[in-house]
Amino acid sequence: MQQLTVFMDIESSRSYIDELYSPDAAKVVEALVTLKNSVIGSNRQKSSVIQQGVVPRLLQLMSDESLDPNIRLEATITIGSLAKGTAENVSSLVEQGTASALVELLKTSPIGTKLTEAGLCALRSVFMHPPAPIASLPADMRLLTRLTQIAREGSPTARACVVRILSIWCCGAGEQEALCAANACSAAAALLGATPAASTALPALDLLAAMCFENANVSQIALSTRYGDKPIPELLTTLVCRDKPLAVAMGAARCLTFMHRAGALPADDNRVVFGALPCLARLCTKEMPEDIRASAAETLAYLAEVDTSLQRLAAISNHLMTSLADIVNCQSPAAKQGAFKCFASLGANDEDIRKRIIETHGLMVHVVNGMNNPEASVRLAAVRCLHSLSRSVQQLRTTFQDHAVWKPLMQLLNDSPGTELLTVGSSTLCNLLLEFSPAKEPMLDQGAVEMLCSLTKRPEAALRLNGIWALMNMAFQAEQKVKQRILCCLGTEQMFRLLGDSDTQVIMKTLGLLRNLLSTRHHIDAIMSEYSSQVMQAVIVVLEGSYPAEVKEQALCILGNIGDGEKAKDLIMANEDVLRKLVDYLVQASEQSWGPTSTEYVSRAIQWAIDEAAEGAPGEQAAGGGAVRGGQPGVARRGGRGRAAGAPRGPRRAARAQAAARKARRRASARQSEDGSGSV
Amino acid sequence: MSFDLANNGNDKEDRKYYDRNKGDDLQISRTDMNMLIMNYLVTEGFKEAALKFQQEAGLQEPALCSSLDERIMIREAVQTGRIPDAIAMVNALHPELLDNDRYLYFHLQQLQLLELIRGGRAEEALAFASATLAEAGANDRNALTELERSLALLAFPDPHASPFADLLLPSHSQKIASELNAAILKMENQEYTNPKLCSLLRMILWSQNELDKHNIKYPKMTDLANATIEKPKHGRRL
Repeated sequence: MQQLTVFMDIESSRSYIDELYSPDAAKVVEALVTLKNSVIGSNRQKSSVIQQGVVPRLLQLMSDESLDPNIRLEATITIGSLAKGTAENVSSLVEQGTASALVELLKTSPIGTKLTEAGLCALRSVFMHPPAPIASLPADMRLLTRLTQIAREGSPTARACVVRILSIWCCGAGEQEALCAANACSAAAALLGATPAASTALPALDLLAAMCFENANVSQIALSTRYGDKPIPELLTTLVCRDKPLAVAMGAARCLTFMHRAGALPADDNRVVFGALPCLARLCTKEMPEDIRASAAETLAYLAEVDTSLQRLAAISNHLMTSLADIVNCQSPAAKQGAFKCFASLGANDEDIRKRIIETHGLMVHVVNGMNNPEASVRLAAVRCLHSLSRSVQQLRTTFQDHAVWKPLMQLLNDSPGTELLTVGSSTLCNLLLEFSPAKEPMLDQGAVEMLCSLTKRPEAALRLNGIWALMNMAFQAEQKVKQRILCCLGTEQMFRLLGDSDTQVIMKTLGLLRNLLSTRHHIDAIMSEYSSQVMQAVIVVLEGSYPAEVKEQALCILGNIGDGEKAKDLIMANEDVLRKLVDYLVQASEQSWGPTSTEYVSRAIQWAIDEAAEGAPGEQAAGGGAVRGGQPGVARRGGRGRAAGAPRGPRRAARAQAAARKARRRASARQSEDGSGSV
Repeated sequence: MSFDLANNGNDKEDRKYYDRNKGDDLQISRTDMNMLIMNYLVTEGFKEAALKFQQEAGLQEPALCSSLDERIMIREAVQTGRIPDAIAMVNALHPELLDNDRYLYFHLQQLQLLELIRGGRAEEALAFASATLAEAGANDRNALTELERSLALLAFPDPHASPFADLLLPSHSQKIASELNAAILKMENQEYTNPKLCSLLRMILWSQNELDKHNIKYPKMTDLANATIEKPKHGRRL
């Protein structure tokens, strides 16, 4: 039975566990080695040992500096092996303070010893099990400096462990800055520079990516950190080559992507255009394994999310569209969502690309299927893709209609989705509700008005904006019953609440909704007969409040519209406050106390409002004067859009605003005095 | 002269193929050959042979990696059936190895099981299989099949005469020993975990495979050990 010692059940070998508590060092070592050999390779043994409560003793043996180094080493190795067990094993280890004990061990144990290496291996195993016990590793400068020193000078195993631990630990701006200050960039560069093996290069690439993600400062430092005579971007460019292992090339391309998006590398930089982009396009192709394709598609989506030139370039790289269309068919949710996101990025700005996506690859069926996918991340990505494609006027009228995409979309939005999906989904709705979209009618029947009104009550500004924006689009050139329904459902109270919103954009769109509601002569009269006091009050609130000029401009445009009504213009004429206000503005405008452009718009708007009100011209002529009128709101609208584009809250919004401005310009001549229904 | 003329047609045809009886421009230096052999000896852990060969061939001191001695001892232990010793040595050398590669660990335990079966200790073998190997079998389809094959040996009065007798041959434990050896080298970040000679032979097999796929006739190496080359039968020429 001699041979059976190694695989004996832990229950049948109670004796050596008792030996762990022996005062005799030699016996303890022997017991530890036996224990170690019994747990390595077997999850069953690990669970059994943990259940028997041996862990605290092991931690004690590991941490006691007065003990024989061999005892400490074997105890640490055993802990490390236990940490390679099941998720439950690891979480029970963490509960018993293993992570903190290991960190304490690393603070004191000398660099380059086997003990340090074993401690690092164990800590890495613990960290690899999500959720990693990030709090057990404090952002203490001395500790971090020590760790990065190991990353530069330790044994290959120790270096790989340290960098892997830090790459998992680094999950916020605070950690990014702390690591950067502890010189982690140069440690990563050193690991990438000296003919790296995949096992050390991969964690280094992950660490670098984690540090650079959305962090301009760290990315800038990484840009100039050198190993030998090569700065990090150069090192990365050599790693994206075809001869490197796929995972390494993927990691390097991701780092370059993150550095670009964090503003360290411009979009036309060779290392982005000829390094990251072609590499990612290659990793999306059919020959690659599915997990690599999935992350390549997702990374490419992030790379090309904003920049139109990168989108155009990606669209013609290495048959990317065909590769992506193929990835959509993959089984794994990660692959599907990566492909959808990538399509969304490619089609974000360029109409030609959108057309090619839809026409050549019949994506719409997959998008509709994706919106019904059981996996939430796939649904979100599918809606993102739909949103991007919905910026195309042509697609709205054709493919979108053929596949009745509004059905699954409405269903998703009514099905209490997460905030993110709601934001993207409602942006898509805005576009689907544009006046030329055939989906507008059926969506009204599906209760779109009610849903959008409830969106305007959300605490998230982006959702309120999308809700009111979509309502505005819906009201544009709508029938009277639609307008009534909107007014009725939104309620004047909510409208006043929105006029006091903290987000200027929301106020703008609310006023835009009012403008769109108050168009066409008999609509104006009908609405004003019912809501005159509220509307006038709203206008006065805006005119007297401390709003920016562009908001006041909108209010004046509303006045202009009211002035077009048969009876409604009497309301202006009867309102002393409003008339006085208008005169004030004219005086102010002539003094040019506002910016030159706003002054021009506002004064024109006032002029127009007064003309409308005072002239009391017969209806026919007013309508005939449409050319004049059409010109004015055209100008006003363009001004409004221009400002929106000039003050973007995010690159995506800027892109939207630009697209909207283009559209607004295109249709300007055909406009009534309404705020255009812009696409988002 | 007349001989030449007579054979002219044939000659031309033969030239298209490499004739290994003829000297040609493709010189292979002796040092290259020696280096390949040395690489084989070192990676496979034949230390004494390597040192001897270095003396006789007048090579430079071979770059023996640090773990060579341990690897030799581990290989010996595996091939002589002292599996617990081997496992203990691997754990001392690279504690994470067998935790990371559970399939390899399974193979070592399987060898242990086979040792018990070879010794005719059926009861112990069954107890051992259910206590330790069952865990790996439950997690891995491949392992389960292999476990079934091993346990099937118990059903035969003479396992050596059974259809699964290959498991009891020394070649099986040698295969596992090489697998283990390669895993250790990989752990140590060695560039090549397999001997380079091995890759060269693989390359031959691969290219022959490609040629076969395209249905091309060529002189095929049918026996690697003796480098026997068979002439092509008639068919499409290269």
